[in-house]
Amino acid sequence: MQILEKTGMKAWNKAVSMKPDDIINLIGEKKLIGRGGACFPTAKKWGFAKEQESDDKYLICNADEGEPGTFKDKFIMENNPENMIEGILIACYTIGAKQAYIYLRREYRYLEKGLKKIIIGMIKKSGTDINIEIILGAGAYICGEETAIINSIEGKRGEPYLKPPYPAVEGLFSKPTVIDNVETLANVPLVMFDENWNPDLRLFSLSGNLKKPGIYEAEVGITMGELMKMGRPDGKIKAVYFGCAGGCMSFKKDTKVDYDVIDKAGCMLGSCTVIAVNEKNSIVDMAAVIAKFFEFESCGKCTPCREGTMRILALLEKISLGYAKPKDIELLEELSIVIRDSALCGLGKSSTTHVLTALSNFRNEFEEKCR
Amino acid sequence: MQIRLNSRDIECDEGMTILDVAKENNIRIPTLCHQEDFPSEARCRVCLVEVDGKLMPSCSTKAREGMVVETENKNVKRARHMNIELMMSAHMQSCFVDVKDHALCRIVAEEGIKDIRFTPAKEQVLDDMGRAITRDPNKCIKCGRCVQVCRDIQNITAIDFAYRGHHSKVTPYFDKDLHDSYCIKCGQCVLSCPVEAITEQDHIPEVLKAIADSRKHVVVQTAPSIRASLGESFGNEPGTLVKGKMVAAARKLGFDRVFDTNIGADLTIIEEANELIERIKNNRPLPMITSCCPGWVKYAEHFRHDLLPHLSTCKSPHEMLGAVIKSYYAEKQGIKPKDIVVVSIMPCTAKKYESAREEMKDDVDYVLTTREFAKMIKMHKIDFDKLEDEDFDNPLGLSTGAAALFGATGGVMEAALRTAYETATGKTLTKIEFDQVRGIEGIKSGDIEINSITIKFAVAHGMGNVQELLKSYKEYHFIELMACPGGCIGGGGQPIPTTWAIRKKRMEGLYEEDHNLPLRKSHENPVLIKAYEEYLGEIGGRKAHKLLHTKYFERDL
Repeated sequence: MQILEKTGMKAWNKAVSMKPDDIINLIGEKKLIGRGGACFPTAKKWGFAKEQESDDKYLICNADEGEPGTFKDKFIMENNPENMIEGILIACYTIGAKQAYIYLRREYRYLEKGLKKIIIGMIKKSGTDINIEIILGAGAYICGEETAIINSIEGKRGEPYLKPPYPAVEGLFSKPTVIDNVETLANVPLVMFDENWNPDLRLFSLSGNLKKPGIYEAEVGITMGELMKMGRPDGKIKAVYFGCAGGCMSFKKDTKVDYDVIDKAGCMLGSCTVIAVNEKNSIVDMAAVIAKFFEFESCGKCTPCREGTMRILALLEKISLGYAKPKDIELLEELSIVIRDSALCGLGKSSTTHVLTALSNFRNEFEEKCR
Repeated sequence: MQIRLNSRDIECDEGMTILDVAKENNIRIPTLCHQEDFPSEARCRVCLVEVDGKLMPSCSTKAREGMVVETENKNVKRARHMNIELMMSAHMQSCFVDVKDHALCRIVAEEGIKDIRFTPAKEQVLDDMGRAITRDPNKCIKCGRCVQVCRDIQNITAIDFAYRGHHSKVTPYFDKDLHDSYCIKCGQCVLSCPVEAITEQDHIPEVLKAIADSRKHVVVQTAPSIRASLGESFGNEPGTLVKGKMVAAARKLGFDRVFDTNIGADLTIIEEANELIERIKNNRPLPMITSCCPGWVKYAEHFRHDLLPHLSTCKSPHEMLGAVIKSYYAEKQGIKPKDIVVVSIMPCTAKKYESAREEMKDDVDYVLTTREFAKMIKMHKIDFDKLEDEDFDNPLGLSTGAAALFGATGGVMEAALRTAYETATGKTLTKIEFDQVRGIEGIKSGDIEINSITIKFAVAHGMGNVQELLKSYKEYHFIELMACPGGCIGGGGQPIPTTWAIRKKRMEGLYEEDHNLPLRKSHENPVLIKAYEEYLGEIGGRKAHKLLHTKYFERDL
């Protein structure tokens, strides 16, 4: 796997011999994009933060991997944390930050001790005065959202806030802040060092009705059939979910798993999470389970997400139990659209993607339940 | 800059939000969580408009050159209606049947929403302990306006969001009752609430009962700031002085006597100015800090035990007047004190709490806010605008301009300085307006020479400013502190809305009242001079102390 290739501080040594602007150019040329799901070009983000004039700047490594079905960051932190930390150091050097935080998901706290040891060793080796601190999240899904992370580290309630100002301009403690995903940062040393680094390789988290679920490295653009083959389908797969927030598609062998194609289908590839669902499972039940997740994880800041996710769950449970009438499906659809269009943050907006895509791909299953 | 708003090209300035632009051009966009004078948090999602095909909150989206905005198309309406329905499903459904006069219900009516497609939310327990403020979580729509005010303006954060998702609620820390918390009862949250989920405790029924009781002699007194704000509830411009009509309305409601709290204010000034001079003479703790504001007093009792010796021991004006009514007035009229019921009309929710304090509970029986008083007048179908002006009853109705100033920030200071200067020096002030302490600046200060001592004074209003000033309180001799922004004219019991623009107008009304009165210095009030001669004895003397002064307690957090 490309991501497991260890650079052993060579990339850092190369980085400190370069000017920050050159590093940003290099990363831009090699087309490194954010791996957290939003696909924002990393070079651009760093560039914004670098240009800000401020005594203090911060870097946050987002290791609050909360998306159900996603476990690539855990894989990286277990198998190649050195690259991630090297990436953090390079990012700090580039933007001029002296303090970095790793916002670690509480469920991953067994990694904390090991990470700390490696951090101490690597900082010693690098000879910088950059400080890296691990902060444990309290377990909220919303704290993976970048503004909510900032609130959380500041000790405030884990709620997103309105952008702009963007974190790169005014973020943690009102100072310029870059927030990058674990996988992005782990790729940074490879971009710096490896001539043949492939920007299209991603870590796919495969799970669901598969005999061999796990992390698989593949290029975006791989067909769905090939991807499933790697995980060995259990039964006949009828649908794939791109995590909870990414929505679902009916399984077709030659669909390309590629950002544009998935986007056009109304879904989001995001962090390359694929959950396979076979014919034995009902999509309505799936929807109810996912809705339960969002109802539980909504922070309660904006009306559509706070009240809406709860109503979505109630409607889906009603449908799933067979008490619903066709007009409930209409209400479900309308409510889902409104939540998608009017919620404050990404979590809220994507909380009904799964309902809307399920309704467009598997409407018959919902209608059958309403007879 | 030009934007396209509802297919009209509109010129606007840089930095304006879409909502500002729409307001300027008389385009209606309903809002709930947005409040004037505050940055928007965009929680409620009611002010959504379509910007270049995407829904955006108009309260926080800045206008950009060439932006295309739709405020009423299908998408906007669908989202707006759904969000209102969702909010109504969490709000008291009874409001839907009997439309109340608050922002959410008004929007429901304006938008023509007829049906809510969701079942009502589960009922929650009311928080109505104590005598000042009631919280009804069943009405709360979590717009966060109260939290914003309590945190950003008052810097108290007695209430905040707790729990998450649809379980989230606005509550005092550790889910305590408001009564048990360090809430200072200033009521700024009440002013900001768009759904009446947080209100003053209703004491109208008790007052009506007292009026109906023929054995009781019911006396009402009205605070200095009411005369400049009460009119707003009946469609008058903010700052309109409605003293005469207010007295007439009170008589029509059946109160036996209508007195003026202003005379209590004059009394407070006489005692307080004397206390200041005594403190300076006898080397007692300085600065002296005013204690007219029960919100500030409660703050000090919770957070600043070190400042309690600095608090003036004077009761607040309405408590003083209450004490005088139940002693001096009762004796003169030959009425037993226990048959007298004193009702104060105050711009304040903390006064409700103050009147229930153990050490002062006999002085004033009930406190009604400006809003409650207006509600009572409306309940009795009194046509306020058509009332003939009437005068306060004698003897406790004659007051000075200095007392009128009490309602605005800096007023107590100005009134006290007028009296302190003249009684201590024996000279007459050439200019009696102290411009240093007037106006809406958060912290004001100045100095004056009295008997070759330079007295330094400072004024702060709004708890945020108060806390800022207290960082350097030792520099001063005399400090006036008011919990509410703008002083009592911005109090938690005042008509809704209360914004900075409205506060300024009310303030001007009070300055006008001061200017118009023949007597403008508290110590020249003839009624009080007579009262001291006949009953109270010496200023700051034993009897005065027993009736007019109080003490403070250290309270836990």
